[in-house]
Amino acid sequence: MGGIELIDVTKRFKSDVALDAVSLRVAEGETLALFGASGAGKTVLLRLIAGVIEPDAGRIMLGGRDMADVAPEERGVGMAFQNFALFPHMTAFDNIAAPLTAQRKGAAALKAGVEAVARLLKIDHVLDHAPRALSNGQKQRTALARALAGAPKVLLLDDPLRNVDAKLRFEMRLELPRLLAAQGATTIYVTQDYKEAMALGHRIAVLEAGRIVQIGTPAEIYLAPATLGIAQLFGDPAINLLEVTPETDAHGPLARLSDMRAPLDPGLGHAVGRPCVLGLRPEAVRFADADAPGAIPVTVEAETPLNEKVVSLTVTRRGREILVSRPAGAPGPAEGPAHIAIDAAHALLFDRETGARIAPRAPDAAQRGTAKRGAAA
Amino acid sequence: MSEAALVLERVSKIYNPDGAQPIHAVRALDMTVAEGEIVALLGSSGCGKTSTLRMIAGFEAVSGGAIRLKGREVHRLAPAKRGVAMAFEGYSLYPPLTVRENIAFALKSARVAREDVAARVDEVARLLDIGALLDRYPSSISGGQQQRASLGRALIRQADLHLLDEPMGQLEPQLRALLRGRIKHFIKERGMTAILVTHDQTEANALADRIAVMEGGVLQQFATPLELKQRPANLFTGTFIGEPPMNVFPAAARAEGDAIRLTLGDGVALDYAAADFEPAARDAMLKCGAVVLGVRPHAVRLTQDGAPARVTANQWLGDQSHIAADFAGATLVTVEHDRAPLAEGDRIDVAFAADDLHIFDAASGAALSHGGRLA
Repeated sequence: MGGIELIDVTKRFKSDVALDAVSLRVAEGETLALFGASGAGKTVLLRLIAGVIEPDAGRIMLGGRDMADVAPEERGVGMAFQNFALFPHMTAFDNIAAPLTAQRKGAAALKAGVEAVARLLKIDHVLDHAPRALSNGQKQRTALARALAGAPKVLLLDDPLRNVDAKLRFEMRLELPRLLAAQGATTIYVTQDYKEAMALGHRIAVLEAGRIVQIGTPAEIYLAPATLGIAQLFGDPAINLLEVTPETDAHGPLARLSDMRAPLDPGLGHAVGRPCVLGLRPEAVRFADADAPGAIPVTVEAETPLNEKVVSLTVTRRGREILVSRPAGAPGPAEGPAHIAIDAAHALLFDRETGARIAPRAPDAAQRGTAKRGAAA
Repeated sequence: MSEAALVLERVSKIYNPDGAQPIHAVRALDMTVAEGEIVALLGSSGCGKTSTLRMIAGFEAVSGGAIRLKGREVHRLAPAKRGVAMAFEGYSLYPPLTVRENIAFALKSARVAREDVAARVDEVARLLDIGALLDRYPSSISGGQQQRASLGRALIRQADLHLLDEPMGQLEPQLRALLRGRIKHFIKERGMTAILVTHDQTEANALADRIAVMEGGVLQQFATPLELKQRPANLFTGTFIGEPPMNVFPAAARAEGDAIRLTLGDGVALDYAAADFEPAARDAMLKCGAVVLGVRPHAVRLTQDGAPARVTANQWLGDQSHIAADFAGATLVTVEHDRAPLAEGDRIDVAFAADDLHIFDAASGAALSHGGRLA
């Protein structure tokens, strides 16, 4: 049995609780993206697993073995950090070889090991350079190579792409999954970039003030975020948030936006009358003809291209701002009056007080009948 | 946008001119910014964009050339005499003043009536979502909030020109898209002329009417975002603008009877009809021989009978998927706006329409043709 398991792990620094009874299981060979703002406890969690610091309570298991009395160097853990942390007086080769030297590999095996991982990371041509002679990208690849070199069972990557430029970050983001799969290690990848978390994590754990607030696949996190806070952290542009109090009519639950009735998921009947926040991702809002059902009149105030998309800032008659995005090249209205329509299937509803998402319930047979009519309207 | 608001004429900047190693930060820069236009100076660090901004603001003397603002020659004037409002990358708010006082301070010297000041502070505070912070001191608010306050201090001023240095780099990601929209609307509605300096091509594309791409102190291209995407002047501009970046492949161009054959790495050959290229573009490409072929990610077509590629990654980001594939000895990236049912190891067939090809001279990097038309 491989993998990483944390059971009720708590870590305090004086009176500050850095991690609060965190339980987590990462399957063998899985990549878990650990996502959260700075200060959430991500790095503390990695350091606990590496054995650099010890938990105040709880157990840490690697490969099914309790790590309580196991020294860091005996844990079979490879680490890479955002600041590269290379030894400045050693060549790239010697930096990468450091974990292998510690394993007392023979000279030939050592050379073969370093060269294999260097080829994988495309730095085999700079192995005799000192860190100062390497570009930022090469330094970061060298640090990754060092983490991979000992073929550790557990790989802990602490925001390794944070300090490299956008282009390289993009390139590495596409390359890393293959690299990690080839390695077969169980990986925890710490990041503050939601795109990296979605692209690299088989699952994502969202850490907030020392607690895991949601853990799930990228689709679960993006499409069914547990809280308003999580919904805001995933997506660019960020999700639109509109205060509503759902009502109901013959067709089922609805939200009123600028006096227009926007139908909600028929399973949201239990939210009627509750103060809520409606979450609409910009790609779930589209421009529509004035006579389209549920079309909401808006004014387009600005158009801001965003990579492969175009984002429009629209304002409703009541002054609510709604961002609308569409693929670049798709036609859209000029600045001035226009209409938008929302995609009820992708609207998320949150409790205004607690921020918790209100999930649609499976409608019973009677409600299902009205639901169909509601969707048709 | 008719009259020229700002004219830079052969502006250059040399640091340490008499030393052993003078640094030529800006070389003979010619640029005209129209009244009411938003222009971005875009480039990586050391490209000369910040030196240019500082010369316009007056914090740096020009080593050569002239700067005219609204017809006035300003490059010998003190900063305060130039009629320029500026937001700095380092925020530089006055620590002993509240956010409100910091923002209003900009109006003090302009002798604006007290009730007007209050109304204008409230207006920019609403724009930048800092209404609740107005009575706080800079040291007690976050970096993103300080940056918004600094932007407010620049935007509240009436000036002939607004200079914004990396204005949004520290903004909270949740606010960034909304504030970009609001700020663009604010600037446009008031007909303000603005220059922003940024290393982030996403920000430049979002806000600017035209982008000046700089590298090594030299203006590489000055054009609209659309033109930069469709007709990049050289390989540098082509690959700097756009995320995901443009796919590029070294290729050999050869005439094969009535066809043009582009041979990429791993022996991948792409055939085009000679008529896909206008004669001058065809000649330029064939004369050159060694070219670089560029294709934007969204222009890569997945077809039934194209050139074979093998998927190495398919990354869904919520609103789009980035798919990478091994192709012609390099990595090909394509974008889908939905989830794409492709897994690592899948074979796909890709094709590039002649209209979507960018051809560059491999030696100089200069663009030869775009979509078959001479660059």
